[in-house]
Amino acid sequence: MPSKETNVQENSKESSSEMEIDACTLKAMSSSPSEKIHLRPMTLFDIDDFMVWATDINVTRFCTWEPYTSREAGIAFINNFVLPHPWLRAICLDDDRAIGSISVTPVDNIRGEIGYVIGSKYWGKGIATEAVRLVGEEIFKEKPEMERLEALVDVDNVGSQKVLEKVGFVREGVMRKFMCLKGNVRDMVMFSLLPSDSLL
Amino acid sequence: MDLNETQPTVVPTVVVSLPSRKISLRPMTLSDVDDYMVWATDAEVARFCSWEPCTSREEAIKYITDSVLTHPWLRAICLEDNRPIGYILIMPVDKIRKEIGYVLARKYWGKGFATEAVRLVTAEIFKEMPEVERLEALVDVDNVGSQRVLEKVGFTREGVMRKFIMMKGSVRDMVMFSFLPSDPFK
Repeated sequence: MPSKETNVQENSKESSSEMEIDACTLKAMSSSPSEKIHLRPMTLFDIDDFMVWATDINVTRFCTWEPYTSREAGIAFINNFVLPHPWLRAICLDDDRAIGSISVTPVDNIRGEIGYVIGSKYWGKGIATEAVRLVGEEIFKEKPEMERLEALVDVDNVGSQKVLEKVGFVREGVMRKFMCLKGNVRDMVMFSLLPSDSLL
Repeated sequence: MDLNETQPTVVPTVVVSLPSRKISLRPMTLSDVDDYMVWATDAEVARFCSWEPCTSREEAIKYITDSVLTHPWLRAICLEDNRPIGYILIMPVDKIRKEIGYVLARKYWGKGFATEAVRLVTAEIFKEMPEVERLEALVDVDNVGSQRVLEKVGFTREGVMRKFIMMKGSVRDMVMFSFLPSDPFK
């Protein structure tokens, strides 16, 4: 998903005693997203919000799954995949409504894989970056046996690659013809974060 | 000689001999146990392998029976006298990816035998398994000799995967290599 760089704008109307910074400039200057997010477990009550992003073909473009077409299928997904998942969180704005989800799935005893999806209406605001950063800060404390958190991103999914780079994941290389995505064999970029890495 | 001849009463394993100027490949058998022990007991050889050196002939026979003869794709690397000096194998990762691995007795290191074996197998495997899109190899960062083997054949070094595999109690960085059906051999 695309995320735009924020531009720092100089406020040219400084008064002599204090610098006036309007709200837009302040948001632009900070490295936080323009809207505050938090993570919490996802529940069946999130079904309608889930359907907003899960039915969106722009969102599913680089996902292994096709857009959902029925509420029943969405409910089945939450029951069969989301609720039993070892580590999956809804990404929420202040109103605690889910606008996406983020998960860490064990690969083996020492490796976990991070994945995330966000409604396209919320792209470009630094939300995915903030969500990934929150996970990067917390996951190694929660799972001390984890030696490596990795991410596999389609070569064409430049937006998602930028998310991981902004957080401080290391881009290890392009794995050619690595994964089958919707019938095509794709090159994937491998990223990793270690407990000893510094987050940006 | 027709290599694909079958006997009337017994259907043997098809013996595909892949000749080269240096080495040939064939299935391993239990009668290879003594040659197997030459490399399997060697701690230097075992250094970057997931297994510990073998300590007895009984252990070797058991390992050959349980793990080598049952392996979906494993070939002894043989010199002109048809005695094995190591072996090379292909492991399935998923429907489109296979992983190559090989081991050679230390006496035969540095002579190009592993390079030739990898070259032969890589060329052969895409013909045998046309569904395979990618042949990969994971090599310990410190195993420079094995990295050179793959580079000499023409594998692409894709990058270092940090803290990728637990090997004998420590978590190792591994170099990922790949070869695609469309790649040229060096």
